[in-house]
Amino acid sequence: MSSTTETAEREAAALAAVELARNPERPRALQVITTAFDQWTELRGDRLFGDDRAVVGGPARLGSRPVMVIGQEKGTDAMSRALHNFGMPHPEGYRKATRLMRQAEKFSLPVVCLVDTPAAYAGIGAEERGQAWAIADSLLCMLGLRTPTISVILSEGGSGGALALALADRVLALENAVYTVAPPETCAAILYRDAGQRARAAAALRPGVDTAYEIGLVDELIPEPAPGAHAHPAVVIAAIRGALLRHLDELCAVPVDELLERRAARYRAAGG
Amino acid sequence: MERTGSQVTARRQPPARRLPAPGPQLRPLVSTGTVSCPACSRRYVVERYAAAFNVCAGCGHHGAVPARQRITQLADHGSLELMRIEVGDRDPLRFDDGAPYPQRLARARERTGLSEAFLVARASIGQAPVLLACMDFGFLGGSLGSAAGEIFAQACEAAAVERRALVAVCTSGGARMQEGIASLAQMARCSAGVAAVGQARLPYLSVLGDPCFGGVTASFAAQADVILAEPGARIGFAGGRVIEQATHDRLPEGFQRAEFLLAHGMVDAVVARRHLPRTLATLLHMYMPA
Repeated sequence: MSSTTETAEREAAALAAVELARNPERPRALQVITTAFDQWTELRGDRLFGDDRAVVGGPARLGSRPVMVIGQEKGTDAMSRALHNFGMPHPEGYRKATRLMRQAEKFSLPVVCLVDTPAAYAGIGAEERGQAWAIADSLLCMLGLRTPTISVILSEGGSGGALALALADRVLALENAVYTVAPPETCAAILYRDAGQRARAAAALRPGVDTAYEIGLVDELIPEPAPGAHAHPAVVIAAIRGALLRHLDELCAVPVDELLERRAARYRAAGG
Repeated sequence: MERTGSQVTARRQPPARRLPAPGPQLRPLVSTGTVSCPACSRRYVVERYAAAFNVCAGCGHHGAVPARQRITQLADHGSLELMRIEVGDRDPLRFDDGAPYPQRLARARERTGLSEAFLVARASIGQAPVLLACMDFGFLGGSLGSAAGEIFAQACEAAAVERRALVAVCTSGGARMQEGIASLAQMARCSAGVAAVGQARLPYLSVLGDPCFGGVTASFAAQADVILAEPGARIGFAGGRVIEQATHDRLPEGFQRAEFLLAHGMVDAVVARRHLPRTLATLLHMYMPA
C-alpha cells in the first residue's frame, strides 16, 4: 500500500471518529442527569450576569447519596440546540458551575461534572465578560475544592472549555468520545491557515480519548456497545451510573486532605 | 528611498582601521543597524530603540520584547540570576505539519537562543525578591507545551520554597497544537503551580504583553493576584479572526486591546513599559513587607 493511501485512510478514520463523537443521538448531559440520577433540582444563574443554558446543574441523588451534578448540554433538536448554544458555554456558564461547586463544598456534596462541549464559545460578548478569566477561575476552583470530584467526558471534550470542568479526582470518558486541545477545524485554521484541512488536523491530533488515557488525563474508559452510545443510550447511561457509584464509594472513603494532595500531585505532573 | 518593514537592516561597516575606544563601553560607538517601528515605520538606531524598551517615541507603540531583554528590563540592575531548568523534549503525537515537530523546535532554539518559550530567573524588583518567568513570543508563538508548562510549574515551586514573589510576563498564542492533548494538560499543570504560590501566601503578579491568547490567558495569566497589561496589547481567549469567522459579527473598535479589557474590568491597570518596574515594585512592597 502506498503511503498516500495510508495517510488518506488514517485521515478518514480520524475524521470518522470525530463525527461519531458528534453523533446527535449520543446521550446528552440532561438525559444522563434525568435518567442516571434521582430528584434532580435544577439551580440556575451565575448571580453576576445571567443564566447560561449551555451549562446545567443542581443537587441530585445518586443512589442514596446527594451529589452536585453539573453538565454541559448540547441540546437534542434544532430548538434545544439553539437554546443550549450547541453546548458552547459563555463565561456565565463557567461562573454558574463554580458557584455550584463552591456550594457543594459548603454542604460536603461530591461533585459530578458531565463534560460535552466542542469548545468554550468564541464571541464578542464572551470576550467582553472574560471567557478566559472564567475558565482560569474554574481550573483553580476545581484544584482546591474540598470535596470529592468526578468528571465524565460524554462525547466531546474540546479545549479549555472542557478542561474547566474536568480537573477532577477521577476522570472517566465514554470510549468513543474525543478529548482535544482544540476542535480539528480550529487546529487546522491555526496550523495550516485553512479550516478545510480538518481531516489532516484530526489525524495529527489523535483526538480519541485513548490518547488522553495514555497520558493520564483520563482514568477510565467506559465501554460502549457497538456501534456506539447513540444506538444504546440506556445501556451506556446505566454503565455511567455504575461507574459513578463505584468511584464515589472509593473517593468518599478517602480523607479530604489526602484527596487534595493527590489531586494537586496529579495535575502538577499532567501531560508528561 | 523606500523604507518599510520592521526588519533590522545592516549598516555600512565601520572602517577597519578605526581604533577601539579606550575603557569599558556601555554602548558601541557605531551602531549595528536600524529598526523601524512596526506601527508607524519611524526609524531608530537599534540601541536607541532598545534603550527605550522597544517603545516608539513617535507613536508610543509597544514593540515585541524577547524574553532575555524583558528580564533585564524588569530586574534591578545586577540582580539577575538565570535559572537553568533542564526539561527533556516531548513529541507525544510525533507531529508533522509540513516539518516534523522536533525540527521546528530546533529552528526556534536557533532563532531565539532559548531552550523553550519560557525564560526563568531569580531577581529582585525594587529590592523585593522575585522569581521572573518571561515568555518569548518568538519561540513558536510563545506556545505552551509540556516542557514550557514544567518550567513554569518549577518556577512556581521555587518561588514558594525561596519565599519569592512570582512575576510572569505572558505573551503567547496559547496551547502548542503540535503536542495535542498534552498541551491542554499544561493549563492544569500551570494552575497547580499558581495554587502552590497562593498557598504559600506569596504575591503573584502577571504582565500581559501583546499578544496573549488561548490557554495561557485562560490559566495562569488570568489567575494572578494583580494583572497588568501593556498599552495596546491584544488579550483574550479566542482570537479576533476566529470570532469574526464564527459569528460574522463586526468587531467593535479596540476589541480585545488592553484598554478594552481595563474598561471591562478584566485587568487592574494598563501600564506603559517604562513604568512597569516601578509599578511592580510598589505592589511588591505592599504585599511583601520585608
